[in-house]
Amino acid sequence: MSTAAAAPPTTRIKAVYGHLDLFLTAVDRLKRAGIVGWEVVSPLPRHEILDIVYEGRPSPVRWWTLTGAVSGLVGGFLLTSLTAAQWPMINPGGKPVVALPAYAVIMFECTILIGALFTGLGMVVHTGLPGFFLDKALQDPRFSDDKFGIVFTRAHAADKDRIVKILADAGALEVATGDDAIYEVPNA
Amino acid sequence: MEAIRPPSYAAANRDIIRVMFKPSFLYLAGLGVSVALVGLLAFCLLHEIWWGMGMAGTNNASFWGTYIVTFVFWVGIGHAGTLISAILFLVRSKWRTGVYRASEAMTVFAVMTAGLFPVLHLGRLWQVYWFFPYPNQRYLWVNFKSPLMWDVFAISTYFTVSAVFFYIGLIPDFAIVRDHNKGIISKVYDLLAVGWRGTNRQWHHYMAAYGFFAAFAAPLVLSVHSVVSWDFAMAVTAGWHSTIFPPYFVAGAIFSGCAMVITLLLPMSYIFGWKDYVNEWHYDALAKMCLLTSGILTYAYATEYFIGWYSQNPHEWEIFAWRATGEYAWAFWLMVFCNCIAPLPWYIPKLRTNPWVLWIIAGIINVGMWMERFNIVVSSTAHGFDPAMWRMYAPSMWEIGILLGSGGWFFMYFLLFSKTMPAVAIMEIKELIAAPVKGHVEAK
Repeated sequence: MSTAAAAPPTTRIKAVYGHLDLFLTAVDRLKRAGIVGWEVVSPLPRHEILDIVYEGRPSPVRWWTLTGAVSGLVGGFLLTSLTAAQWPMINPGGKPVVALPAYAVIMFECTILIGALFTGLGMVVHTGLPGFFLDKALQDPRFSDDKFGIVFTRAHAADKDRIVKILADAGALEVATGDDAIYEVPNA
Repeated sequence: MEAIRPPSYAAANRDIIRVMFKPSFLYLAGLGVSVALVGLLAFCLLHEIWWGMGMAGTNNASFWGTYIVTFVFWVGIGHAGTLISAILFLVRSKWRTGVYRASEAMTVFAVMTAGLFPVLHLGRLWQVYWFFPYPNQRYLWVNFKSPLMWDVFAISTYFTVSAVFFYIGLIPDFAIVRDHNKGIISKVYDLLAVGWRGTNRQWHHYMAAYGFFAAFAAPLVLSVHSVVSWDFAMAVTAGWHSTIFPPYFVAGAIFSGCAMVITLLLPMSYIFGWKDYVNEWHYDALAKMCLLTSGILTYAYATEYFIGWYSQNPHEWEIFAWRATGEYAWAFWLMVFCNCIAPLPWYIPKLRTNPWVLWIIAGIINVGMWMERFNIVVSSTAHGFDPAMWRMYAPSMWEIGILLGSGGWFFMYFLLFSKTMPAVAIMEIKELIAAPVKGHVEAK
């Protein structure tokens, strides 16, 4: 009887850095070594971090923004003009039934409103929020304080020693693996 | 003058969070007064609902009174918050960082306060849903050609976008509050932070979205008060029907909003001991902003008179001459004093950093900007085209109660905000702090 090949064992690895340059060095060395599957955690969005991780690739949130803004513009036009066209016999003040200058304000507001709401939706989708169910190794209060972190939630166990060496050699304050990578709040 | 000088990321977290959740006696007293004023608002409102709109001082000629004056006042207050949070973000102005969170909160609460007034003005406020277009069995739709309907859309959009922008800015800071607390507080703030962890993926898309929100909010702030001005300028009423109104209203809104930011933040920054985060650098910039917009307003007031005289339109000239010399002359000259003359001492740099001078002048400007809206709204309807229809307006005690109550409503939210949310944006403050570097390891 044949069975599916068992998935290779994985482990958590977490490195904590107190200095931005050491942290960036570690990220750079991981990239050069061709190691994937890591995430970085930081107390603020430093452009050096995003540049090294994303290499200038823009966020796809912009397409959500564009879709929302165009939908709002078209929706605003349809709402105003179709509702007016339902009552073509009423022509207040000699204005045309579909009066674009008057409707431009509504169309503008709808563009902003729907564009902003789509931007928020795009942000939620791409950031993966809500993040309650992200791996526990990413939940470390030091990362919202003043420390920078590199986290592997599922590193191949076979690569563990190599990864730990790269992270430690770059100057990590702490490198933890397995369940030790989950931060326990002191005196909680 | 010192810019922001917090020593480290950790110090920024500690200094801003330490004032949360610990109300002082002064704070509780302020909150108590605010809640009492909200009670006054509720009482006056119930009285008006019970006895009808006759309880207000409005009449057939002066059909727009304190409610519309106060509506325009509070919408205007909100504008500085969006200007500071969105426009100054797009131009990468550094001084916005210390003051933008409180300014943005002020915007949201000011628009919430402003939103009360068109509803109160309806009289039958339970029919407020008639404002909005919705499919109904009578096939009736709102009139989209009406500036009042533009206003419904503008204010609704402004509130929604401002509230979402405010909340999104707070998410990383809620995560910081969560990580600095334990137990139920930590759990509540984890919910508010929607599980934010600060991963590269989260920051990458968050920052992109934040930039787009700012880009949407920037034209919105200019459009909203333009639309509010069209409530007046689109009407063929002497003193209102003018193309100068949109820029004049926008400048006035930013003027009053910046003055309100000084009014709110100055005592807060001193009481909380936030000299490293909000200091003379910010107040100097806010006072300069007030000076610029005060100059624009003074020019607009003068231009209105010039247009009234140069047009040789007797109705136009009559209303402007009457504003300065008639029964409401006291309101006109109070407006001129508060908005054009009182800010002038700020041309002396030392007086832009003196806390007492700052606070007193900012308070005078707040009064002046309410008076400006009173001048515009009330005088043109009280003194219209037909002398047989000239009717004076004075607010009734119920309207004054609702006006005071609206202040309580606004301050109640602001006080609650100051103790439950980081009133200075911690994450953005960190962007101004030099990152910790060791400096001896090179990337290989």
